[in-house]
Amino acid sequence: MSTKNEKVKSSRFQEFLKKFRKQKSAIAALIVLLILVFIAIFCYQIAPYGINEFDYSSVLQKPSAAHWFGTDEFGRDLFSRILCGTRISLTVGLAAVTVGAISGTVLGLIAGYYGGIAESLIMRMCDVLFAFPGIILAIAIIAILGSGMTNVVIAVAVFSMPTFCRLVRSTVLATKESVYVQAERSLGASDARILFRHILPAALPNIIVQYTMSIGNSIMTASSLSFLGMGAQAPTPEWGLILSTGRTYMVNAVHMMLFPGLAIFITVLCFNLLGDGLRDALDPKLSE
Amino acid sequence: MVRYLIKKFLETLLTLFIVTTAVFFFVRMIPGDPARMIAGEQATLEDVENVRESLGLNKPVPQQYAIYISGLLKGDLGTSLRTKRPVAAELSQRYPNTIKLATLSIAWSATLGILIGVWSARHRTKWQDYLGMTIAVSGISLPNFWIGFMLISLFAVKLHLLPSTGTAGFKSYILPALTLGTNIMAILARFTRSSMIEQLKEDYIRTARSKGLSETPVTWKHAFRNSMISVVTVIGMQFGFLIGGSVVTEQVFAFNGIGSLLVTSVSFRDYPAIQSLILIFSLHFIVINLIVDILYAVLNPEIQLS
Repeated sequence: MSTKNEKVKSSRFQEFLKKFRKQKSAIAALIVLLILVFIAIFCYQIAPYGINEFDYSSVLQKPSAAHWFGTDEFGRDLFSRILCGTRISLTVGLAAVTVGAISGTVLGLIAGYYGGIAESLIMRMCDVLFAFPGIILAIAIIAILGSGMTNVVIAVAVFSMPTFCRLVRSTVLATKESVYVQAERSLGASDARILFRHILPAALPNIIVQYTMSIGNSIMTASSLSFLGMGAQAPTPEWGLILSTGRTYMVNAVHMMLFPGLAIFITVLCFNLLGDGLRDALDPKLSE
Repeated sequence: MVRYLIKKFLETLLTLFIVTTAVFFFVRMIPGDPARMIAGEQATLEDVENVRESLGLNKPVPQQYAIYISGLLKGDLGTSLRTKRPVAAELSQRYPNTIKLATLSIAWSATLGILIGVWSARHRTKWQDYLGMTIAVSGISLPNFWIGFMLISLFAVKLHLLPSTGTAGFKSYILPALTLGTNIMAILARFTRSSMIEQLKEDYIRTARSKGLSETPVTWKHAFRNSMISVVTVIGMQFGFLIGGSVVTEQVFAFNGIGSLLVTSVSFRDYPAIQSLILIFSLHFIVINLIVDILYAVLNPEIQLS
């Protein structure tokens, strides 16, 4: 029984790999993301200068051989700072979405599977969270908790949670009454077994796609919050914060805004492309 | 249909009630003593007491809640700690600017997004499709504030064509509207494409083609008209998000709207203002969603049956 199950699983995985291999832009995005992860881990070793190495003799310099992305208002090397910003953005994005995805999934499973009061309560809560448009909910949370990166992670986690909750709940509702779940139940399987062996795997493809897309979105929200002065504080080399500092020097040092923005763009773009590719490879409707 | 609408309306009322209540508890959720937090660390005991009284925090919670709700119904949004003026006065000054900006943004982004989406769907897997979808995926990945600054540095600083700040005249709305609409344009392009592709697979399209109809009327008269139902819904929802997104855009352009007011209020810990603004933003969103639901019901014949 279990070996048969394994076989079904591995062939499904192989089918996914076969389809995913055709998604060229998603593979390119995945490679770039792996490079970004590498940079995030080893940024302090790779960076040519220290992130807080002041050099008042070369302030606001344009990009050159010595400083690829130029220097900032303290003469700090922008390339090094942006490299080290990778760690911050990836950590914030991953941490926030992981917390949001896990809590949303658990709540969605409970709501969809057990129904009743639990469902009404959970779904009402989601409605309320959804009633705050875009970044407003995150700002409200930060207004209560105060600014800082930890609070940004909390805010973004709360902000991404309801999407997972709704997504998982709708898959649970669709699979709960399916023949194989009913068969399992009539064989006396426990709720936990049904939830984790049957329903959760059915929801997993959607969760994975949403997870990937949400990371990009969260990185964008987190850097927007830092840009607004509600996230990272100086001298943290956070991309949104560097960009926000750069606006004072917009007239003669556009590079201070150009490069951090490009860094955010490339990172978010890669997560979105990867998400698109995963969706196409995982969606059974698209198989031709 | 009527029953569906009544149900939607009641649901909206319930959400409204819950959101208003949640916003009421907003100030009371500040860890520790909110009055002390708001007054600041250097405040004297007297200052703290003043804040407590001005926010009504010294009364019992049910009474505070009753005052809050009856105030809201009368349009009283409290007094700003920063300007010492009624929050409603400042809001009403800035509110039209944000609405104008949002309307302009949705107008250009919906038009262009739909055109790109239809174009991509019609030329599926050809270069037009790849170009359209590259624009779209880039559009959803670009940070708003970055687009804004790049536009400013090009059109205001380098070319001196357009103003970079202010709300005076149509010209000063162009750059903020371009900034605010880019993400929505991209989202709509992607959505229109996928919904058009789904429609183009349907049997009635095959029938239309087999009648000898050329691609242009098939695309626009048949597939487009049917995919419009869901596209309109998404436009409505995005309009709600757009008002939220105005926070960042308005900050970039020092635009005198309610989004930049929220940012200023947060940095001044002006809790009465933050509270009312968050309420206004979500009220908008809820009302827009209700309108979208109604529109969807009116446009979609299938709902009338169920």
